[in-house]
Amino acid sequence: MSNSMIICKDVSKSYQRGGETLSVLDHLDLEMEAGRFYALMGPSGSGKTTLLNLIGGLDRPDSGEVTVAGAPLSKLGSGPLASWRAANVGFVFQGFNLIPVLSAFENVRLPLTLTPLSKAERKKHAELALSIVGMSDRMDHRPSQLSGGQEQRVAIARAIASDPKVLLCDEPTGDLDRESADQVMDLLVRLGKEFGKTILMVTHDPAAAARAERIVHLDKGKLGHIESNVGA
Amino acid sequence: MDFLTLTRRNLWRHPLRTTLTCGAIAMAVFLVCTLRSLVTTLDNSAVASRNERLWVQSAVSLFVSLPQSYQAKIEAIDGVDLVCKWQWFGGIYIEPKNFFGQFAVDPEKALSLYPELTVTEGSKEAFLGSRQMVLVGQGLVDRFGWKLGDKVPIMGTIFPHPDGADTPWEFEIAAIYQSSKPNVDNQMFLFHWDYFAETVETASGTAPDVGTYVVRTHPASDQSAIMREIDTMFENGPQRVQATTESEFQAQFVSMYGNVGFFVSAIGGAVLLAILLAALNTMLMSAREQTRDVGILKALGFSDGRLFAYMLGQSFALCLVGGAIGVSLALLLEKGISKAFAAMLPNYAVIPQTIVLAVGITFVIGLLAGILPALRARAILPVTALSDR
Ligand SMILES: Nc1ncnc2c1ncn2[C@@H]1O[C@H](COP(=O)(O)OP(=O)(O)OP(=O)(O)O)[C@@H](O)[C@H]1O
Ligand SMILES: [Mg+2]
Repeated sequence: MSNSMIICKDVSKSYQRGGETLSVLDHLDLEMEAGRFYALMGPSGSGKTTLLNLIGGLDRPDSGEVTVAGAPLSKLGSGPLASWRAANVGFVFQGFNLIPVLSAFENVRLPLTLTPLSKAERKKHAELALSIVGMSDRMDHRPSQLSGGQEQRVAIARAIASDPKVLLCDEPTGDLDRESADQVMDLLVRLGKEFGKTILMVTHDPAAAARAERIVHLDKGKLGHIESNVGA
Repeated sequence: MDFLTLTRRNLWRHPLRTTLTCGAIAMAVFLVCTLRSLVTTLDNSAVASRNERLWVQSAVSLFVSLPQSYQAKIEAIDGVDLVCKWQWFGGIYIEPKNFFGQFAVDPEKALSLYPELTVTEGSKEAFLGSRQMVLVGQGLVDRFGWKLGDKVPIMGTIFPHPDGADTPWEFEIAAIYQSSKPNVDNQMFLFHWDYFAETVETASGTAPDVGTYVVRTHPASDQSAIMREIDTMFENGPQRVQATTESEFQAQFVSMYGNVGFFVSAIGGAVLLAILLAALNTMLMSAREQTRDVGILKALGFSDGRLFAYMLGQSFALCLVGGAIGVSLALLLEKGISKAFAAMLPNYAVIPQTIVLAVGITFVIGLLAGILPALRARAILPVTALSDR
């Protein structure tokens, strides 16, 4: 237990649509170890994004408990939950991750305003994060001046800028060509190995999933098997 | 600091839209400032004119005159110091747009009645010296470039010249005054009653009546008792009169233009409502475009309260810039407007309270335009905001 970074216990989530109740996650149990790289796969509509959002504290389950980095999320009100997110999780979404009116550097520095770091330290951390993702030379570009792959790398820089324990990525390579996708995957793998991040990545791409240490299969709100990926 | 940048850049994302909204707010605030200043200027002159002077006029209408015999009767009342004839002449100097007030008065009494008038050029003696002499305000001198000794022809409209309606009355500038109080018009043209009365009698065969009497009461006397006494004295005619204090009398001219205060509030209110809708529209559009940004900011850990403040801040920024431009414009144009309205409304000024009011209004518009987007930004779930593309 002590080595578990993410614990979902009996988690259910359903949506109301019209008069019908659509059950998305159905009494789901899941544990993920600290420092590992997980890929979450499953057919469209199987609840991958829903699960990721619950783990990241962006949404709340109907029942059950999600515990991440030792924090039982249901016990946190919306203010503390926001602070908890700032300190513990970094998000990378499929597309349109960045604030369009801010430069790459400003986007990465943004979450650091929630930390006690000084102005000079914030600048240093943001620059470091951008150098890790290899985007130092594009710091002053606006998102519209970046390619999709570059945008995702900046989004990853922003996600790691405040050094969270957990990275949650929803189809980070979904909109990218093979080469850009590989670069992003290289980066995520490195973040897991060198920086000890716990990474959960939703993907439809078997090649991307193959780079993860574990592959979690989700189908119709139920957990399938968890594969250990010896090659990764 | 980053939120200030965000606010600035988001507002500048659509320069045209922001400029137009800002400009509309600026125009509205300018208009409200100016309209409000017209009212405060009117009020001010009414307040400033509290003094020992009473105005006696027909109880029927401003346009009905009183017999000359009333002067001595009013003078006889206890507490009355002095009674001066004050006759509106209503002539035209060259062309109608050169409008200003000409009054036939008892010259010596008029000067004693109005210590606010300081003769700055020429002399009191020169004015009193001969019957065609006039005393004119500095405001008129500035307007028409007059100087001492100038002959001024005034075409009589109500009172035609005996030689025919095309012949102007001739006056000569003997003295120039400067008014030391805002309630005393700096653009009066005062001339001798005797000259007026004789000329009118020559032309029409009858001695003229008197439009108004200006009465000065003893400082120690009871003004309202005197007003009542004057009113009752002529209750049985031939002309019933009404005595009012000078401040009320001036206010009555104001009410002649309609209820200016109400009029201005109504226009101002409508303008502000229109502008509120424009600002609200801009804010709703802007907030709509930022839905995903709100989701990202929430995912990054910014609190609901922060996003509420951020959205409200954007609205304030938009409105305050517009408001600041509007107020600056009102102050910048103060001199020009004052000049343009000098004849009708002397001493137009934008007082500090008006600026405070305008700033307050701007804040309220900012609040009303921003509160809805701000509440939405606060309430929206991060997942919902993020699913917006
Ligand atoms: N806010 C919502 N309201 C109603 N239904 C929703 C909502 N969000 C998701 N759903 C439904 O829940 C189900 C699971 O959605 P989810 O986004 O988690 O799927 P997913 O596995 O991420 O799919 P994809 O691979 O297409 O991204 C879908 O049927 C979806 O239509
Ligand atoms: Mg999804």
